[in-house]
Amino acid sequence: MSDREFKRVASLADIPRGQTYCITAGDVEILLCHAAEGVFAVANLCTHAAARMSEGKLRGCRILCPLHGAAFDVRSGAVLSRPAREALRSYPVKVEGDDIYIALAE
Amino acid sequence: MSATNNPTPGEARAPGPSVADTLRRDSREVPAPLLEQHYAFLGDEDLPVERYISREFFQREIERLWPNAWQWACREEHLPETGDSYVYDIGPYSVLIARMDDGGVKAFLNVCTHRGTRLIDAQGCAYTPSITCPFHGWSWNLDGSVRNIPGQWDFPHTVGDSHNLAAVRCEVWGGFIFINLNPEAAPLADYLGVMPAHFAQFPLERRRIRAHVQKTLPANWKIAQEAFMEAYHNFETHDSPHGANAQYDVFSKYVSRFIHTIGSYSPTALADYPGDKWRSPPMSEQEMLADLSIEGRSLAAGETARQVAAQAIREQLQAQLGVDIDRCSDSQVLDSIEYHLFPNMFFFPGILIPMVYRFRPNGDDVDSSIFDVLVLEPLPDGAAHPEPPEPTRLGVEQSYTEAPELGWLAPVYDEDTGNLDLQTRGLKTSRKGLSLGNYQEVRIRRVHQTLDEFMDQGKPFR
Ligand code: FES
Ligand code: FES
Ligand SMILES: [Fe+2]
Repeated sequence: MSDREFKRVASLADIPRGQTYCITAGDVEILLCHAAEGVFAVANLCTHAAARMSEGKLRGCRILCPLHGAAFDVRSGAVLSRPAREALRSYPVKVEGDDIYIALAE
Repeated sequence: MSATNNPTPGEARAPGPSVADTLRRDSREVPAPLLEQHYAFLGDEDLPVERYISREFFQREIERLWPNAWQWACREEHLPETGDSYVYDIGPYSVLIARMDDGGVKAFLNVCTHRGTRLIDAQGCAYTPSITCPFHGWSWNLDGSVRNIPGQWDFPHTVGDSHNLAAVRCEVWGGFIFINLNPEAAPLADYLGVMPAHFAQFPLERRRIRAHVQKTLPANWKIAQEAFMEAYHNFETHDSPHGANAQYDVFSKYVSRFIHTIGSYSPTALADYPGDKWRSPPMSEQEMLADLSIEGRSLAAGETARQVAAQAIREQLQAQLGVDIDRCSDSQVLDSIEYHLFPNMFFFPGILIPMVYRFRPNGDDVDSSIFDVLVLEPLPDGAAHPEPPEPTRLGVEQSYTEAPELGWLAPVYDEDTGNLDLQTRGLKTSRKGLSLGNYQEVRIRRVHQTLDEFMDQGKPFR
C-alpha cells in the first residue's frame, strides 16, 4: 500500500456523515461514501446494469442501487444482494485532516 | 404435592407480597394500567408436541396464520424520506413498504406483476425511487402504479390499475409499521385492544432504536418466544430471585402481559425452590441495591432499594440523554413489564428494560427462528429520530456478548436462549405433551388458543 500513489480528491467538509460524493478521475466515476466507520471509495456504476450509485442511498455501510435495489458493502465493494453478482471496485482511501486521498492505480 | 394444590384451578398464587403490594409502595403515582389485574383460567390440558415440531403444523401456519396476522415490519425511522423503503419477509412472503411523496407509507407484495419476479432481494432498508424489475424492466411509481412497461404495444391488456403492485394492508402504531397480508383483515386497532391506552403514557414513537440485534435460534418460533413469556424460569435459568411472584394478565385473544418487579421479591414464594438462597436469610435492601449495580450508597432508615435505584436512573437519563422522566413511577423505571401481541411480538414500556422483540420462522425450517431484539431508548422532547442502526446479525453458535451494544442484557439473552436447542431435541423424544402452570404460563396457553382460531378460520394466502 505504501508505494501506491494517493491523490487528493476531495475535502471532508464536502461529505457530511451518511452522505456520498461523486468524483471523476479521468473517465472513471468514483463514489466517496462517508459512513460511521470512515470514508470509503467505490466505483460509481452498478455492476448490474450500470445505474449511478450516486443516485442511490447510503444506509449504514450499505450503498443501495436506485434501479433494481442491489446492495453493496462500501467498505469492500462486496455485493450483498441480487440482482448484482459482482463487487463494485473499491479504492484505498486516506484521510489526513480535511483532505481525502484515494489510490487509483492497481 | 396435592396438599399445596388449590381445589379451584388458577386461583392459587405465589405466597408472600404480590406485584400489586410492591407497586403500592411506589414513590410516584403508578399509572392506572399497571394496577389492573386481568387473569382468567384457560384450561390445564397438555399442549401436543406436534404443535412445535411437525412440518404439517408449520405448513398450516404458513398458509393460515402468517397471511392473516398483523405484524410489525419495521419502524417509521427506517424509511424517513420519500423513496425510502423497507423489505420485510415472513415465511415465503415478502412485503415492500415505501414512503410516499406525501409522507405516508404504503405496502405492496414484493413481486413483479408481469411474471412474478421478486423485486427487491434483500430484507431491510432499501431505496426504490422508481422500482424496476430486473427481468424485463417494468417499473412502478412509489404508490404502486405502473410507471413504464417497455414494449407497451404488446401489452394492450394492461389497463387502468390492472398491473399495479398488489397493495398490502399497512397501519402505524407506536412508531411501528404493521402489515397484514389479508386485504380483508380487521383493523389493527381491533388487534391492539388495550395497548394504545396502556402505552399512552409510554409513547414508543418517542423512542429511538439504541440497538438492534437479529439472531438465528435453533428452535421453532413458538418454543423461542415462549422462553420469554414467563418469569418462572428466572430462578433456574438466570440464578435470580425475581419473578417467582410475577403478575400475569390476559387482556384479550391477542394481548397479554407480565409484570415482574426488579429490586423486590417474595422470599416466601421461593419456599419450595431448591436450596436456601435468597430465602434464608432473605436479601437485605442494602444487598438488593448492590444487585441493582448501585454501589457505595448506604440506605437511610425507611429508604428502599427500589426507590433509590429508580431515582438514580431518573437522574442518569436526565444527565446522559436530556430526557425528563421525573414523573415516571419506580415501576416503569425498573420493572420488567412485558406486553405480548399475538402472534409473535413483545413490547416493554419500561426504562431499564425497554425492549421490543419479534420471533419469526426462519424460511421454511420448522426448527429454526429469527429473533429480533430492539432496545428502545427515550428521545428528548422535540428531538428528531436519528438514523437507526443496521441490525447486528448473529448466527446460532454466536454469543450475544458479540453484540456489545446490548450491554448487561447480552449474558441474560445467552441464558434465555441456551435451553432452546435442548428443548427442541427433547421434544422430539417426548411422548408426552407440554404441561403449563395455570397462572404463570397462562399467556402461552392464550397464544395457542388464538393460534387454533387462525388455523381453523384463517383465510389461506391463495
Ligand atoms: S443497476 Fe444496480 S441493481 Fe440493477
Ligand atoms: S418479470 Fe418483472 S418485468 Fe418481467
Ligand atoms: Fe429470561
